Amino acid sequence: MNDRVELFRGNRIFLTCVYWAFVLYVFVPLILMVMMGFKDSNFIGFPIRSWTLDWYTGIFADTEVLSTFGYSVSIAVLSTLISVIVGIWIAVLLEGRKFTGRALLFGLTLLPALVPGIISAIAFRIYARWLGIEPGMGAIVWAHAVHNVPFVVLVIMARLSTLPKSQIEAARDLGADPVIAFMRVTMPYLIPAILGASIFCLLLSFDDFVRSFFLGGYEPTLPVLIFAKLRSGMSPEINAIATVALILTAVVGLWAERFTRRMNKET
Amino acid sequence: MTQNVSSEQTTRNIGGGNSTPVFWGRLSGWGPYHALVRVATASPRRQFLILAAFPILWVLSQHLGPMLQMFRVSLTDAYPVAPGVEQNFTLDNYVRFFGDSIFWMPFFRTLIFAGVFTFCTLLITYPVAYFLARHVSRKNQMLFLLLLLIPFWVGEIVRTYAIMILLGNTGAVNLVLTTFGLVDRPIPFMYTSFSMGVGIVYLTSLYMLLPLYSALEKLPKSMNEAAADLGAGAWTRFRRISLPLTIEGISSGCTLVFLISTGFYATPVLLGGPSTTVFAETIAGFFHVAGDQWPTGAAFATIMFAAALLITAAFQKIMSALRKGDPR
Repeated sequence: MNDRVELFRGNRIFLTCVYWAFVLYVFVPLILMVMMGFKDSNFIGFPIRSWTLDWYTGIFADTEVLSTFGYSVSIAVLSTLISVIVGIWIAVLLEGRKFTGRALLFGLTLLPALVPGIISAIAFRIYARWLGIEPGMGAIVWAHAVHNVPFVVLVIMARLSTLPKSQIEAARDLGADPVIAFMRVTMPYLIPAILGASIFCLLLSFDDFVRSFFLGGYEPTLPVLIFAKLRSGMSPEINAIATVALILTAVVGLWAERFTRRMNKET
Repeated sequence: MTQNVSSEQTTRNIGGGNSTPVFWGRLSGWGPYHALVRVATASPRRQFLILAAFPILWVLSQHLGPMLQMFRVSLTDAYPVAPGVEQNFTLDNYVRFFGDSIFWMPFFRTLIFAGVFTFCTLLITYPVAYFLARHVSRKNQMLFLLLLLIPFWVGEIVRTYAIMILLGNTGAVNLVLTTFGLVDRPIPFMYTSFSMGVGIVYLTSLYMLLPLYSALEKLPKSMNEAAADLGAGAWTRFRRISLPLTIEGISSGCTLVFLISTGFYATPVLLGGPSTTVFAETIAGFFHVAGDQWPTGAAFATIMFAAALLITAAFQKIMSALRKGDPR
């Protein structure tokens, strides 16, 4: 037994180093970006000699940035609502049912998640024009909603597959019609998955650049605003905006992760 | 045990005395609702049709529709059609692609870049996934994985900007290099294929990591131990056990990362330079200017999508052949 432990030790040390190097690779750029938001100078670059909070107080006084935040959040919420409703419906149809064309339907359901970003954006752009949707909030909400449906379907299907069939049967035996059985048995069981999928959709929508860029009107979403500012030059102001966005998404993501894990343990 | 608890909960919910059961009880007793449900669920066939109609309509009109419309527009000579002008079908937009190196150079560059970056991502994340699945205790695995997931929630633009700060002429890497006297003047990392690669690998690595991790996690530890007992070294164990048994994870991770990296637009614009123009920028160009360029843009996007699909399909074929025909 000791020999075996000895045998794997060399690997283990090497792999541990690789893991922590990877953690550094993932975190260091973000940490540097956050630090730069506190630099007391208009010029982006190291070293940082003096520090300030002005950039942060600046963005909270900037109505353009604040309204962009609001705009992005409302797009995320609306598109998530649509994705979740459609996604649950598709998942309920696909999970545990055998019918002709099921594989094709499943493949087509996943399609928006597999189309590379730029192609998806311009396909939506052309289709929106064809449908008569003007570029702007409606178009972005629609594109985000369609793009996020596959993720909801996958999460809900995974959860549905573990639902004990006997519970539905018991409800039906007790006189519940299929609709009520669904609302009172299936839906409560799905709540952790719905919550997880919603948060995932919210973050996908909030972070999305390429669809928002091609389908947006004059009002930018947050990533589009950051992109536009970056093209006209780097400044610590952008770092402050990006940092606020980063903290918002990381906190929401972490909270959702904890919450869904706890819910999954309970049921 | 778990099942018992949850069925008890459900029973309580159905019979419970809080406000919702009253609502559902009232609803099911309400005449029109009752009639509607009875008509809708009269036969399994009708029930299925009612359930299936909306998903089928949605998937066809919203998922497939945009792609088909893009293809249709790519075959026309003008879009959107001006009033009084006749729209004709033509293949000119596709011919145009082959006629000028300014179009097909970025196309091949994109495919080569995406292939190379995918391979780099695989090389970087495989040991990380291996470490997570094999050398971390079950209890801590989620914690270690979560640590890597946090930056994943941060958006594409913010992370691209972080790479710009890292690699700029006055960036962190150059600061370290010059203070230690390794170089005399800053190395111009930015606006090259190198900076673009660092950015794209940074953005895609978690899409590779997760499939690899779940493939490696399923691998029984006993196999490696048996091989080690029989005298196989680390490299042999990796080549003969871990690698063949995780081909599925490798194949799905690479497919995902390849498709994602061909689709990046903002990252090449911000991190790349004139010599690294990718096809996404070429396509986007047709949509920024006057509307009459849309058919060409649509044709180019169709070419790109077809190429990406063909390459990933061929790749998956090769990988599954490797998995099946492994005589070693």
